[in-house]
Parts: sequence; C-alpha cells; structure tokens
Amino acid sequence: MDFALIDLDEEHRALQLEIREYLTELFTPDVFAQEHEFGDGFNKKVYEGLGARGWLYPELPATQGGADFTPLQQRIMDLELDRQDARIMMMRGTSSLPMSAVRKYMPSDMAEPILKACAQGQAVMCLGYSEPDGGSDIANAKVRAVQDGDMWTINGSKMWTTGAHVSTYTFLVTRTDPDAPKHKGITMFLVPLDTPGVTIQGIRTFSGERTNIVYYEDVQIHDRYRIGGVNDGWSVLHGPLDAEHSIGVDMSDGLTDLSIGAGFCKVLAGSIVEVAEWANKTTGPDGRSMAEDTRVRERLGAALVEYEAGINTPGPMGRVRASDALVKQSAILQDLLGPAGLLPMDEEGSIGNGDTEYAHRFAQGTGTYGGTVEVFRTIIAQHVLGLPKASYPGSKVFLAGKKKS
Amino acid sequence: MDLHELRRQDYTLEEISQEVLVAFGDFFRDQCPTSVVRASEPLGFDQNLWDRLVEMGTTTMGLPESAGGDGAGVIELALVAEEFGRAVAPVPYIEHVVTSRALAAAATPALDQVLAGAADGSHIVALASYPIQPGSKQLVPAGAVAKSVLGLAGDDLILYTVEQSPALVRNQGHTPLAWWDFDSAGSRIVVATGANAHAIFKRAHDERMVLMASALVGMTESALALTVEFTKTRETMGVLISTLQGVAFPLTDIATNIAGARNIARKAAWFLDNEPDQRPELPAIAMVYSAQTATHGTTNAAHFQGGLGFTLEADVSLYFLRSKGWSALAGDPSAHLVDIGDHVLASAK
Ligand SMILES: Cc1cc2nc3c(=O)[nH]c(=O)nc-3n(C[C@H](O)[C@H](O)[C@H](O)COP(=O)(O)OP(=O)(O)OC[C@H]3O[C@@H](n4cnc5c(N)ncnc54)[C@H](O)[C@@H]3O)c2cc1C
Repeated sequence: MDFALIDLDEEHRALQLEIREYLTELFTPDVFAQEHEFGDGFNKKVYEGLGARGWLYPELPATQGGADFTPLQQRIMDLELDRQDARIMMMRGTSSLPMSAVRKYMPSDMAEPILKACAQGQAVMCLGYSEPDGGSDIANAKVRAVQDGDMWTINGSKMWTTGAHVSTYTFLVTRTDPDAPKHKGITMFLVPLDTPGVTIQGIRTFSGERTNIVYYEDVQIHDRYRIGGVNDGWSVLHGPLDAEHSIGVDMSDGLTDLSIGAGFCKVLAGSIVEVAEWANKTTGPDGRSMAEDTRVRERLGAALVEYEAGINTPGPMGRVRASDALVKQSAILQDLLGPAGLLPMDEEGSIGNGDTEYAHRFAQGTGTYGGTVEVFRTIIAQHVLGLPKASYPGSKVFLAGKKKS
Repeated sequence: MDLHELRRQDYTLEEISQEVLVAFGDFFRDQCPTSVVRASEPLGFDQNLWDRLVEMGTTTMGLPESAGGDGAGVIELALVAEEFGRAVAPVPYIEHVVTSRALAAAATPALDQVLAGAADGSHIVALASYPIQPGSKQLVPAGAVAKSVLGLAGDDLILYTVEQSPALVRNQGHTPLAWWDFDSAGSRIVVATGANAHAIFKRAHDERMVLMASALVGMTESALALTVEFTKTRETMGVLISTLQGVAFPLTDIATNIAGARNIARKAAWFLDNEPDQRPELPAIAMVYSAQTATHGTTNAAHFQGGLGFTLEADVSLYFLRSKGWSALAGDPSAHLVDIGDHVLASAK
C-alpha cells in the first residue's frame, strides 16, 4: 500500500514543467470555446500538437509514434491533461480501443500507417457498435456485411457513433452470418468514413456532447479492412470491450486510477469545490454565511464521501459506483445553489464556472455509454458474486435473423 | 482537494499485511463460529475467545515497542478488524486496542500498571464516546467488561478505573454496553492535559472509526456471502432467484459498496500511519461509508432471504442486528458528515 506523494527527480520535474507549458500553449481559449459549443470531445490542433511530440499516446514506443513513456511519465501527462480539459481528450480514449485490435489483427503493412496516423493525431477512430434498435446487446448487431470476392457490401445504420464526424475510421461490428448462433455470425471491419455510401448525422445530447447516427448504404469495403476472421468478430471485440470494462488491468504500481469511473468523480469534485467556494462567499437569507448552514455542511460532507466511494471502488464496480455518486450528488449539490444553480457558465449571475449546472446534465450519460450500469451489474453478478447467468430467449440466438428468415 | 496531486494509488497489501489478514481470518474462522457468537449473548463477551486472541498477540501488536508491543500500524489493526467483524466476534477488540494505544501515547509512568494489564488482556480498557460532564452518565461501548475508561473532561484526559465493571445494559447489537457514572469511579488518573489531551483523544477516536469501518466491511461481507448462497438454491417459478435482476442487482450493489468501503478504510489507515495531518477527514469518511454499506448491505442480505431472513434462527440476523449495534457506537453519521463538510469548506477558497 502506498498513497504517498511521488517525489520527482529533476528529470521528471523538468518533463512535468515542459508538458505543462506545452499544454498551456495548445489549450488556448478558442479550444475550450469550440468544445463548449460543439461537444466534439476532440480538437484537431490539440491532437496534432500532442501527436507531433509523440505525446498523444506517449506510452507507445517512439517507433510507433509514441514517446516511450514509463507509467510514471504517463501519469504525469494524464494529470497535466486533467488540469486542462479531459472532455477534449475523449476521442483519444475512444481511438485507443480499436488501435489495439488493429495492431493485433491487421497485416502490419496495413496497420502501421493507420496506427502511426492515430499516434500523430492525424487520424482518430470511433466505435460503431450500438445500433438504433439497442446497444446493450452488442452481439445482436444487424448491420449487414456481405462478401463478394475481395469486396464487402455493408448496409444498415449505427447509432451513438460518437466522434464519427471527426474520425477517419470507424471500428464496425457487422453481421456476416445471420443464421449462425449470434456470437458466431459477427465480423469486425475498420471502415474509412470517407467511403461513398456513408452518411453521418449529428445527435445532440443534454450534456452538450455530440454523437452521431451513421448510415451505411451499399458501402464497398475491401477485405483488407476486415479485422480478425470472418465470423470471428466476437473474439476480436473482446479485447477492446474488456479494456472498456477494465478487466485484467495491472495496477500494482499505483500509477493508474483504481476505478474506471474516476473520470466521473473529477466532474463531481469540480462541483463540490464550486459549491464550497460559493458557500464561503455567500450570505444566506438569515444574514449568516452559507458555510455555517448545516444543510450545506452536511451535504458537502455527503458529496465528498460519495466522491471517495467512486474513486476507491475498483474496476467495473467503480464505474457503477462513480456513476451513481455523480448522478445523485450532482442533483443534490445543484439544489443547494437555488435558482442561480440553473444558470450555465456564461449567463449573468451564474455560479463559478457553471460546473455544478454542467455536472447534473453530464451525469446522466455516465450511466449509459460504454455499457449501461445495468450491463455492468450483470457482469458483477456473474464475475464477482458468481451468480448464475439468466437465460433469455436471445441469449444465444440472433433473433433479428430468425425473425427475418 | 488537489485533484492533480501526484500520489500513488497503490492498494495492494504488503506481504506481511497479507499474512496478518490470513492468520486472523483463520483464527476467527476456527475459534469463532456463529455458535460462539450466539452463546455469548446477551453480554457479547467470550472470555475464552478473548484469552485466545490475547495469545495471538492481538493486545500487544498495536502497542509501541517502548511499551512492550510490536509497533504495528493502524493498517495491520484494521486488517485484524476486518476479520474480527467478519466473525462478529464477541470481544472488545476495537475499544481495547485503540484505548491501549492512547494510554501508551500518553507515556505516563502512573499508567504502567494499567498498561501491563491491558497488554496481557487481564485489564480491559475502553473509550468514552463523548466529553465527560460532571453529574451525567454515559453509555460506554465495552463498558460492561472494561475496568478502565479513558475520557476527556474539560481539557484533561482522564483514566477512570473501577473495581468491578458496571452492569450490562442489553442492546440491539449484543455488545457489552454499560452506563458509566464517572463521578463515582474509584480511581482517576490524569493522563494528559491541554492540547495534548485533545490530540490523544481525537487520535483514539479516529482510530476507532477506521477500525470500526473495517469491522463493518467484514461483517457485511459475511452477511452477503450467506445470502448469495441462499439465492443460488432458492427457486421461484422454476428459476433460481439469483437469476432475477431484482434480486441480483441489489446484491451487486452490496458487493460494490463493500469493495469501496474496504479500500477507503485501508486508505484512511494508511494516512493515519503515514501522513495523519494530510487527510484528517478520511477516518470519518471511512466510518460513514462503512456504516452506510453495513446498514444497506445487511438489510438487503436479510431481505433476500425472505421471511427466513427476518428470523432469529437465520444467521443473517446476527449481522443485521450488529450492523447498527456496532456502527451506532461510533457516532451519528450525520454529525460526521457535518465535520467532513467543514473540512471541505475550510480547504476551499
Ligand atoms: C453520449 C453517448 C455516447 C455514446 N457513444 C457510443 C459510441 O461511441 N459507440 C457506440 O457504439 N455506442 C455509443 N453509445 C451507445 C451506448 O453504448 C448505448 O446507449 C448503451 O449501450 C445502451 O444502449 P441503448 O441506448 O440502445 O439502450 P438499450 O440497450 O435499449 O437499453 C435501454 C435500457 O434497458 C436497460 N437494459 C438493456 N438490456 C438490459 C439487460 N440485459 N439487463 C438489464 N437492463 C437492460 C439498459 O440498461 C437501459 O437502461 C453512446 C451513448 C451515449 C448516450
């Protein structure tokens, strides 16, 4: 066990400073303004700027466009990025999932230029998993891919393909054998999004984050863009999905967040600090400081307990716990602020940076994307408690396929 | 709070800590089956178990080497507490250990005899929960088996000793609670005064909260284990109840809370051992979160055994009754929340 401050030697301190200065240069006010307005989770200037130094995926070897960072250097980088705006870095995380599949399954002459472009910030990848009919049951994907010689024809639509409008490729789940058991009829592709027949339409969420619906109409893809075996997509998907669910990560060096919901907790922390600062400088109707009001004191205390619960709960359980903490506490903290708590950051009389107002809107999505909290509870029931799996009509069978045929 | 502080987040136990956990896990499993817990009711004290625990070195491990102890940290004590709680063992482990440590910290020659008795387990010591007011009595945890109670009276930290422990008052958690009338205590030794008195008393309370938090984690885990097994064999409408999400999901929440509560308690212990001034609010956070975890966890563990879970015969009742019966001894969570909130306010601009 170790929770001590890490005493950085001169070399690491210099790196920290260098990173901090470079990030301050990159994250200019227009970068934040753009993210605020469009909710892309991405910024070309920032990604290319980081990529130019190998700092977008610094843990990669320099030969692959990284910077050979050790876990400690990586941690320094992540904390410095957090000081700026984690939202803008979203597509970095999203791309890293398919990157590992590309590295593992694609022939290296195909994979290398793609991975290099990603590492340099010139390409990003999005996840084409969920469909309009349902995202929790990924293995029930209906987007159809049909082979004809070296070419595949893709038809159907994907929903919630976040970042598709800024991405070069999408990591696509397709149905290639509708008659096989559902997990055995899936094939993965890396589809260049500028391929004819691809149409991307924006969807706005109430957190401000943009996501997309993507239509595929007779999209022609060469077989070289297939990732993994035909009908073997489920095992390809497993790596990235496990990573998204943070299964099997080694954390013994204490340089990674324990909880996969740690990012949600940062949003909660922002709100806690904002409310505390507000209470310290605000006088209540009875003429006393709000910081002396027992409601404020007790609720801030409760919010900090929930924050700690979120960051101290490991892995997939931490994701559920952090989401629950943020959803409940952001609503309660907003109540404390009264009507002014409803004003977004740039309105007259809004509180702080509007972090609390934002947290309440942002919180809601955290229970859904990346697999809903119910999907995670199902995983916990089976893998932590060892409870038996429920058997549903569509557990093994591709129902849409059956209905059609 | 500084979110960008570069601290390690390493929760893995050292080998020696791991050994403590295993040794005490084995000990309580062997020596304290639920039949022992039941047989100890209503007093909640088993002399034989206590003697065995003393033989294990439990009453000396947390004392400084200068006082003949092993100098173990709060973290090792918290690991023992986890196993103690898992067994809901009828011994005043937490009270005795934190009070002995407070006495050792005071390092007054006048205490030598009491400390020797505390170290060999023959003289049980306990901690008063609230400052002592003249003319008023206090319910003291472990007060029915303790010979001495340490309490803060004004700016003095005083050890009150009696010939014979006051009588048990029966209580929900079957712990040896008793009313102490400090005015009539036979002997009183001023252990420390002024700021030092307050500091020792506060430290003892912080340690008590952390150990209690750990004990509640173990307790809740025991209750959950019973109910998980129950749901794996109980059927309704042709399916196991554990396949129903209305049953399974609340159980996953218990497991989730336990995992977090355990880590918070251990982290709080680490800070008490290593950087006590850095996170002064952590013991209270650990306490509150474990109390919530235990209340929610044992309530639902009992509930998902249906009517059986409501019976005294079901072992889950042991944990349900003690979840409140133990946690309430460490103070009202709302009061702790206010303290934690004050810390948040004080650290903000
Ligand atoms: C902002 C945002 C960004 C996203 N980004 C991406 C992305 O980049 N790529 C991508 O592929 N997807 C993305 N998603 C989709 C996300 O993964 C899905 O929304 C999610 O998996 C749930 O799918 P659904 O919305 O179709 O709801 P459904 O699957 O239809 O679920 C509806 C409700 O039923 C519950 N439910 C479903 N199945 C079960 C079950 N077996 N047991 C218990 N409850 C169940 C769910 O928890 C949910 O509450 C994003 C979503 C959002 C909101």
